[in-house]
Amino acid sequence: MTARLRRYTPFATSGLQSLLQYRSMFAMTAMTAAAGAAVTVFLWRAVYAGTPGRGPGGFTVEDITTYLLVAQILQVLHTNRVDDEVAAEVYRGDVAVMLVRPVSYPVMRFFACLPVVGANAVLVGLPVLGLFTLLVPLTAPRPADLLLFTVSTVLSVLLAFCVNLLTGMTGFLTTNTWGVRMVKQSVVAFFAGQLVPLALMPGPLAALAKALPFRGMIDSPLTLLLGRYDGWAEAAGLVAQQLAWAVGLSLLCAALWRTALGRLEVLGG
Amino acid sequence: MTRTMTRYLRLAWFLGGVGLHRLATYRMDFVLGAGAFLVRVGIQTAVVGLVFRQVPAVGGWSYHEVLFLLGFSLLPRGLDHLFTDQLWELGRKLVQRGEFYRYLVRPVDPLFSLLSERFFHPDGLGELVVGAVLVGYAGSELGLSLSPVQWLLAPVLVLCGALLHTSVKLLFASLSFWTVTSMPAMYAANQVSEFSAYPLDIYHPSLKALLTWVLPFAFTAYVPCVYLLSGETGLLGWLPVVTAGALALALTVWRRGVNRYEMTGS
Repeated sequence: MTARLRRYTPFATSGLQSLLQYRSMFAMTAMTAAAGAAVTVFLWRAVYAGTPGRGPGGFTVEDITTYLLVAQILQVLHTNRVDDEVAAEVYRGDVAVMLVRPVSYPVMRFFACLPVVGANAVLVGLPVLGLFTLLVPLTAPRPADLLLFTVSTVLSVLLAFCVNLLTGMTGFLTTNTWGVRMVKQSVVAFFAGQLVPLALMPGPLAALAKALPFRGMIDSPLTLLLGRYDGWAEAAGLVAQQLAWAVGLSLLCAALWRTALGRLEVLGG
Repeated sequence: MTRTMTRYLRLAWFLGGVGLHRLATYRMDFVLGAGAFLVRVGIQTAVVGLVFRQVPAVGGWSYHEVLFLLGFSLLPRGLDHLFTDQLWELGRKLVQRGEFYRYLVRPVDPLFSLLSERFFHPDGLGELVVGAVLVGYAGSELGLSLSPVQWLLAPVLVLCGALLHTSVKLLFASLSFWTVTSMPAMYAANQVSEFSAYPLDIYHPSLKALLTWVLPFAFTAYVPCVYLLSGETGLLGWLPVVTAGALALALTVWRRGVNRYEMTGS
């Protein structure tokens, strides 16, 4: 097992090397993330401005600010470029070259995206968090909640990988993967709770969001971070749900990948 | 002078037709592109709706006023999107791959030549339609009745807003002549333009100043909407000045970049 996994480490290291050639990219990602966070943070802070103590959904001003800011940072961790790279390789037919190698393409992609996630966390996530700490008051989490959040974040990265891989695989069907990616981005951001916490959605919409896998990408980690759960059972339930979706989506990816390859035609082999 | 103008107009008309032809050929792409914008705007509207479920007013703006602002912000954006999105290609790869020379060898202005490669991006139609519907709906809910002057000015305001969007896009795309690719910078500027869809009153004063005087997206929606909704002119007088200034700056940077490109000749 370890020997098989070791095959994939070169993909991770080469991913990191190619990434570090474009260091200015991180400054730009940080800027866009900060801008995105500022829009939602200011919008919701204006809502909570008139209400002292706990406002709508039981959030304080600090809570809602922390929620939206960390949600934006999680979103940066989820932007692993798997969707556009897979789509482009399928679309150009480059994927055929990959198939000759004795590795699984989806697993290879997973390892190649790990350094992207790590670098984004350190070079984008931390500076943006630091910047906002200076500007607006935030809620400090309890140590136990921070631990739960860490576990939940790892699972959310896995979920995001699966969702992005599935999005990239639409390259088998359409040439306008740009449109598909844009729809995915908006829908996921909304139903994950990045723009509006699930606790502030009306009943039916919240029920729908809770039934979808995207909740595990943003809302679940943040519910844990802010300690907005009832006892250990509920916390464990949230993590278990994320885990179940991660396993389910991985299996779906594997199955669809196999089916798609069976139908793949590449010209000019 | 008039002869060149008519020549360019005829060319633009013809190339626009070619763009429409592409629409019929790649029908699925069009549906996905326009549909993507519908989904995006739909979600933006839903977020505004959910915000106003909690409170009656945000930063002194009511629900329908914010909807009006959101809808209005889509009009200049969509108009700009319809005609100038080829600039993204410039920022992304044309300089990087050394393909830019082909716009210099044609017997028309290089900027026209670049834009004419794809004169009609139908994705922008989605934004224009949704924007118009939102403005119409919110306007009638507010019982808004515009004065004749406001009716006359409204299209001018949209046009100026579109020119502002174009200026910022052209400026950042032209940076690629120095930095090889300026896609991330363009993307960042585009992200900042999202601020214009919400009332500027909710932002930190420094951010408000930035959006008014540095990246002047405030003039694409906020300033015109304050005028149309309340009749207060406020910053409106600055709009032509800012638009002309931004356009002049962007064209200067573009021209410098093009000259520089010729010199290196790569």
